[in-house]
Amino acid sequence: MAVSASSASRFSILRSHHPVGASTGYMYDLRGDWPAQVDQAWQVSPFAIELSALAEEELDSLVGYLASGPRLPFRYLSIHGPSKGRSLPEPALVARLGELSALVAGIVMHPDTIEDTAPYRALGRTLVLENMDARKEDGRTVDELAPWFAELPEAGFCFDVAHAWSIDETMSAGADLLDSFRPRLRHLHVSSLSPELHHLPLTEEHENLFMPLLARCRDVPWILEAPPRNP
Amino acid sequence: MSQSGKAAGSSLEQLAAASGRDFPNLLRARDATREGLEARRAALGQLPHQDDVAVVLMGSWGRAEVTAGSDDDFMVLVRGTDRDDVHPSIAEVETILDQGHGDQGMFGEPVASDELIGRIGLDGDTNTNLSLRMLFLLESVYATREDLHEAVTAELVDRYLDESVKDLRVPRFLLNDVVRYWRTMCVDFAGKERQGPEKWGIRNAKLRTARKVLFAGGLLPVLECSHFPRDEMPAFLLGQLRMPPTDRIAQAFLTHDASDAGGRALGAYDDFLGRLDDKDFREELESVTRDTSKESPAFRDAARSGKDLERGLLALLFETESLPKLARDYIVF
Repeated sequence: MAVSASSASRFSILRSHHPVGASTGYMYDLRGDWPAQVDQAWQVSPFAIELSALAEEELDSLVGYLASGPRLPFRYLSIHGPSKGRSLPEPALVARLGELSALVAGIVMHPDTIEDTAPYRALGRTLVLENMDARKEDGRTVDELAPWFAELPEAGFCFDVAHAWSIDETMSAGADLLDSFRPRLRHLHVSSLSPELHHLPLTEEHENLFMPLLARCRDVPWILEAPPRNP
Repeated sequence: MSQSGKAAGSSLEQLAAASGRDFPNLLRARDATREGLEARRAALGQLPHQDDVAVVLMGSWGRAEVTAGSDDDFMVLVRGTDRDDVHPSIAEVETILDQGHGDQGMFGEPVASDELIGRIGLDGDTNTNLSLRMLFLLESVYATREDLHEAVTAELVDRYLDESVKDLRVPRFLLNDVVRYWRTMCVDFAGKERQGPEKWGIRNAKLRTARKVLFAGGLLPVLECSHFPRDEMPAFLLGQLRMPPTDRIAQAFLTHDASDAGGRALGAYDDFLGRLDDKDFREELESVTRDTSKESPAFRDAARSGKDLERGLLALLFETESLPKLARDYIVF
């Protein structure tokens, strides 16, 4: 999609994209209060939500919350599985995640936290692997992700655009990721990153930089990993 | 119709190349359709035919998506007015096409083209007449007498592209009938559910997938008519209708620079078609009811495919460069 510099400054591909949702991962003040996180995500968009249990200690309460059958408005519901504070044996963790697989469209995992792929095969198409940022030692590039998808052929791909930027600010590596894994793309993580690689609201500059790749992903939900920036 | 859908460089194959997503099940189904059509055409060609009678195959035959569980849905088409003594008769055709008719009995009588074309709208255009007309237009293929099938299709397109159609505008009469048929299928699904839970799962799965492909395969060419002066629209539409619906859809994704989304959308449909070819999957879908659907892996799979297909089509209609303007101007009102 060719967009001139002047029109790019006015056009927001993010605002023109309908299937958008919020990750609860940025709602630090509401941690543990799932109904409050859902309410805040609903203010961003009633279309999609990613319920984030990044710390393993959050998983039990998330399973309990979803098992209680909350009335949710969202048409696309994903969860982000634990990547921090891991203590459960992997089969037990996957079994816990499996309890959610019938309730959600996707369970996002960081490949660098997976020790043994075998238990994860039980999650089938519900499992979604995310590309990693520059701080990690695996799962960042096509070459690093390909073996994971070879081991988990049914798994989907969550394209974290900012993570791709962190390894290559020209976005060429991001384009390679999309070229290689686009048939299995399920959703996007969208944000900018701080110098310490923490998620920040998507800046206008990054939105323009990411636009060619975002335009290739207009059919899938875009999950915001930081609050939407003010207009 | 000369469609087999397997011509080298079909739009589906071009989309596969552009999107990096293969469609093995759709292409295999096209092969099965082509082989099955050859056999049926040879056998049906032996039946004595009156000059104005053709046999037309419908449904998965017309979509070039024949799988192991596909029915031989067919129509005995009479060009002109209805009459009693038609040959080949339904019974004569059934001696060759014996895979069953589905459960509506919609194809249980010969169909006169005057009814299809002359009764559009008002009380005379029954649910059955609307369904037969749309299925004939959007997903049918000749079994005998290609010339008659072509001629009736052209007459029907001419009827829709009447004097109300303007140059470089979407033909609303045809658009409204295509949209009306999609909504009728959705409403009839609810009506059938009230009659009983039998086959709820397979009907629901098909509404999410194959019926959506049927609708989009009609809607997209009608919207694209806005690129043509009125006198060029018939040739464009007839050309589109000779292709399987998945080729029409694939072409739209390619034309509107949305090949990645198209690969994922038709890839999801390809996955569903592949699973439908599996006896256990199909039987599970046929036994699922609304009450048991949440516990059915087969139904969840089908629902996921339907959502992925729908998201791709919605992105095509509402997030590409030019189609959103047409969608806004024409689809709602």
